[in-house]
Amino acid sequence: MSDSPGDGKLELKQASKDVKESENVAEKYSAMTVTKNSEMGIGDIAGVPAAFTPVAGHKPVKKQIQFADDKQEFSRFPTKTGRRSLSRSISQSSTDSQGSAASYTDSSDDETSPRDKTQANSKGNSDFCVKNIKQGEFGRREIEIAEQDMSSLISLRKRAQGEKPLAGAKIVGCTHITAQTAVLIETLVVLGAQCRWTACNIYSTQNEVAAALSEAGVAVFAWKGESEDDFWWCIDRCVNMEGWQPNMILDDGGDLTHWVYKKYPNVFKKIRGIVEESVTGVHRLYQLSKAGKLCVPAMNVNDSVTKQKFDNLYCCRESILDGLKRTTDVMFGGKQVVVCGYGEVGKGCCAALKALGSIVCVTEIDPICALQACMDGFRVVKLNEVIRQVDVVITCTGNKNVVTREQLDRMKNGCIVCNMGHSNTEIDVVSLRTPELTWERVRSQVDHVIWPDGKRVVLLAEGRLLNLSCSTVPTFVLSITATTQALALIELYNAPEGRYKQDVYLLPKKMDEYVASLHLPTFDAHLTELSDEQAKYLGLNKNGPFKPNYYRY
Amino acid sequence: MSVQVVAAKMAEVELKDINSKSLPAAMPVAQKQEEKSAIKSQPAAPSTSPAVSAAAPEEPSLPTPSPNLMKMPQASVLKRTEPQHNGGEAFINPDGTVTEAPKTVKKQIQFADQKQEFNKRTTKIGRRSLSRSISQSSTDSYSSAASYTDSSDDETSPRDKQQKNSKGNGDFCIKNIKQADFGRREIEIAEQEMPALMALRKRAQGEKPLAGAKIVGCTHITAQTAVLMETLAALGAQCRWAACNIYSTQNEVAAALAEGGFAVFAWKGELEDDFWWCIDRCVNVEGWQPNMILDDGGDLTHWIYKKYPNMFKKIKGIVEESVTGVHRLYQLSKAGKLCVPAMNVNDSVTKQKFDNLYCCRESILDGLKRTTDVMFGGKQVVVCGYGEVGKGCSAALKAMGSIVYVTEIDPICALQACMDGFRLVKLNEVIRQVDIVITCTGNKNVVVREYLDRMKNGCIVCNMGHSNTEIDVASLRTPELTWERVRSQVDHVIWPDGKRIVLLAEGRLLNLSCSTVPTFVLSITATTQALALIELYNAPEGRYKQDVYLLPKKMDECVASLHLPTFDAHLTELTDEQAKYLGLNKNGPFKPNYYRY
Repeated sequence: MSDSPGDGKLELKQASKDVKESENVAEKYSAMTVTKNSEMGIGDIAGVPAAFTPVAGHKPVKKQIQFADDKQEFSRFPTKTGRRSLSRSISQSSTDSQGSAASYTDSSDDETSPRDKTQANSKGNSDFCVKNIKQGEFGRREIEIAEQDMSSLISLRKRAQGEKPLAGAKIVGCTHITAQTAVLIETLVVLGAQCRWTACNIYSTQNEVAAALSEAGVAVFAWKGESEDDFWWCIDRCVNMEGWQPNMILDDGGDLTHWVYKKYPNVFKKIRGIVEESVTGVHRLYQLSKAGKLCVPAMNVNDSVTKQKFDNLYCCRESILDGLKRTTDVMFGGKQVVVCGYGEVGKGCCAALKALGSIVCVTEIDPICALQACMDGFRVVKLNEVIRQVDVVITCTGNKNVVTREQLDRMKNGCIVCNMGHSNTEIDVVSLRTPELTWERVRSQVDHVIWPDGKRVVLLAEGRLLNLSCSTVPTFVLSITATTQALALIELYNAPEGRYKQDVYLLPKKMDEYVASLHLPTFDAHLTELSDEQAKYLGLNKNGPFKPNYYRY
Repeated sequence: MSVQVVAAKMAEVELKDINSKSLPAAMPVAQKQEEKSAIKSQPAAPSTSPAVSAAAPEEPSLPTPSPNLMKMPQASVLKRTEPQHNGGEAFINPDGTVTEAPKTVKKQIQFADQKQEFNKRTTKIGRRSLSRSISQSSTDSYSSAASYTDSSDDETSPRDKQQKNSKGNGDFCIKNIKQADFGRREIEIAEQEMPALMALRKRAQGEKPLAGAKIVGCTHITAQTAVLMETLAALGAQCRWAACNIYSTQNEVAAALAEGGFAVFAWKGELEDDFWWCIDRCVNVEGWQPNMILDDGGDLTHWIYKKYPNMFKKIKGIVEESVTGVHRLYQLSKAGKLCVPAMNVNDSVTKQKFDNLYCCRESILDGLKRTTDVMFGGKQVVVCGYGEVGKGCSAALKAMGSIVYVTEIDPICALQACMDGFRLVKLNEVIRQVDIVITCTGNKNVVVREYLDRMKNGCIVCNMGHSNTEIDVASLRTPELTWERVRSQVDHVIWPDGKRIVLLAEGRLLNLSCSTVPTFVLSITATTQALALIELYNAPEGRYKQDVYLLPKKMDECVASLHLPTFDAHLTELTDEQAKYLGLNKNGPFKPNYYRY
């Protein structure tokens, strides 16, 4: 479930520009295109890098798209950006608002690299490096909006303000720098921590938010559109500071951990723990641990129950409908849909589509999940059996080449194909880049692929993640992630000596439950408390944990 | 969810038992009723089981003397709607007693309870986990069917009789070998709904993966178990079997198995002494030593451990399916006394999902309908607990248009309820306004007298969770409250001001008392057991040590895949390239162990 919306965003902008210029080609869609453009196109005027100069016409579109792909693939650190797991830690809407907002302010910016500028905030503090400190006020508003939807962090601030559980913590962080992260950072500060922060993705930084944080005194080193060199320079500035040594690491992707490990191994002596939230980063930690090179405890927050459920099941249940509507305005009732894969994402997609009256079939490889699909009332089929008749194909397997050219050839006219699963491997898009097929970009993120006989297949987001490219990640979901991170930091920082050894740990069940309980007030949900007698009967502590570790929820 | 099954089940079984004794007295009344009801009942007679099971537990039709009377249960089920309108007064109970005075009913009920409580073997039987390994319908059909044949039986204990099947084999001990034909039909019916075991027979018949296995088993002896045993035999195993519950044996099925050459030692209504005698006869044979144990409740394991510890030298493994039995194994293992590998099949993913989520999702609606004929649309329902059972209940009720509230103690489950669109409340916030209260927490005293006092008139209270602890029924046994039994399993509790609460199954498990466990669910369990036996028997030396294991993920997946053809489900296969990309074997296991499904 990972892709880089940073990259996606750039292409998205570029794409919408194309739409404008090829309107005559997609005439019948032009009305809708205009609305799309008015949403998406504002950012175009300013933000498009030189590399993405738009060109009109079909062939160029194709070429241009490939160029974008190439750029991603041959980028100097593709594994770091293109393939990094975001774990949905970034909200599309926040980058969108950034996209439009940035154009207001960015246009007045000079092209000097932030590294070369001397910067100071209104208090004279200059221990930061952002694009433009003057954008601070705008960023503050963004943060305030985010705070509205992140009531759990705010209530955490209130609950823990007195005891300051992070007093003395020196946290160095490397995450996407968005309004939501800012709420997290400021929460950590309220809880007593000192923070230095850098971006884990060269595209995803919201400059205004970075400015607002700097203005508030947090040492932030990040701007949108860093070069690779800038990227590591920022990380280095975060870590390498005289008279200040971090004792906690909050990482997203493992780059910061890697840098500290390579450059400043001595720093690890003081570090109490690493909190890592991405799949990639966790994978790297497990490798380190296996090699016996992990010298501090690390906490894997990616696999906590609450976070997983929200990242996959609940988030995708909503974004599948939203993504399809925004891009195609399809009506769901009575449509035949095949969902490939019945894991958490597939379960969410199926439930949402069924609720809107679609006829949903499921393909699965795992018999247990297949049986679940049966019991939930979905026909379990092989893709080949239904491919001729379905109106929508949704992939969420995490696998590659689930929808092949052969199957694309057999689809009926107007079939919509999209991917909710993993990166861009599930649909074999490359196989569609053959001379006999015509590609028509009808809207941003929507391509018609036209067969010689006139059959059209509607391909969304070029096979990349629909929910990241064409929908949003709600702030509420990010709030779950941020709260989980905050609690993991508190747990690691306050754990008695010896509780955590040099290994990778899952978030303790109790903390996981606490994350959930902090989000319950949003729903005006009233949790029942065990009586003493009941707790004794069940053999539980009244305050949890309530379930054994193997409980499946 | 599993431990309690027994208690509820046992209560039923015992009730039957008691009632059957008290039946002669009630007979005249029953006959009167028969006149009215016989006509209605006729069409239902052949396929009795589903209909009967609603009212069955209290139905004393076991030794009825005439075929006509035998049909009574259905008749009373069909008639049920009428008595409700006259408020339960002078209502002729399905069990044949006239309940003019609620006192009588109450007393009778208490007697049943006491019997259970003071039963000498409560810990062994009353509390044993069934893990739903017994189907309501199968025991029900037994109860009506048995009357055909049982009535002609003498009262000699099967132990004292000389028995031989048609082939002259006498190595078994059952009630009456002549019932075999009837039992065979029961088994054939069960086979229809257990396609997985039948498929397993076909798939594995050639290679005979259990060739040489000598399995001694101790489970409920029902038609479903018979299908399992015959499957094991088809796979090459020799089986000797005893019952794990003194009441649950289907005599005809035992007869059919004995006729088929199985050494079965079981009959309905064994004494404690008989119980252990049967187990001993299973194990203690000259020239035959078991090398596998299939246990349900741990009694067989316990017996061998105490009496024949040397046998464990030859035993390759124990398969245990009940919560209680697994608990006992873990204790043995902790004490370092477990000397063979044991497999805990109770906690396998597939079995758990079917025992709880899927089974309860259906039985909540069925149980409420059968007992109260309530209409669900627009009703306000509060479901206490949002675990697997609560999720199933809530989903089913929501689908019927009910307004569902949920109470929960665990914030993660609470958040799940919120995201599934249920209002999360505390019970006392909604108790005044709800029409139905369903408990499925596994806890005790979730619905206390104080809440019951505040409920509105006509509120239905039932339990889907654990044993009979969730609703504080004892607190309702006070002089100012009047109890009225309006149907079997349905009591009206009447407050002095005239308010009535509808209490179902006296707070015992609704889904076992008033609904059925589908054979399909039992098929999941039986298949899991069979695969666990195959796995343990064929495991290379050293894979399993002297410990308690969960069923390997791959076997769990195999259980699921064997049930897919029922749904005409077509599983997709990985290509080599895809398998490589995912780093998986093409044939599974497909998920890491911590995967939550």
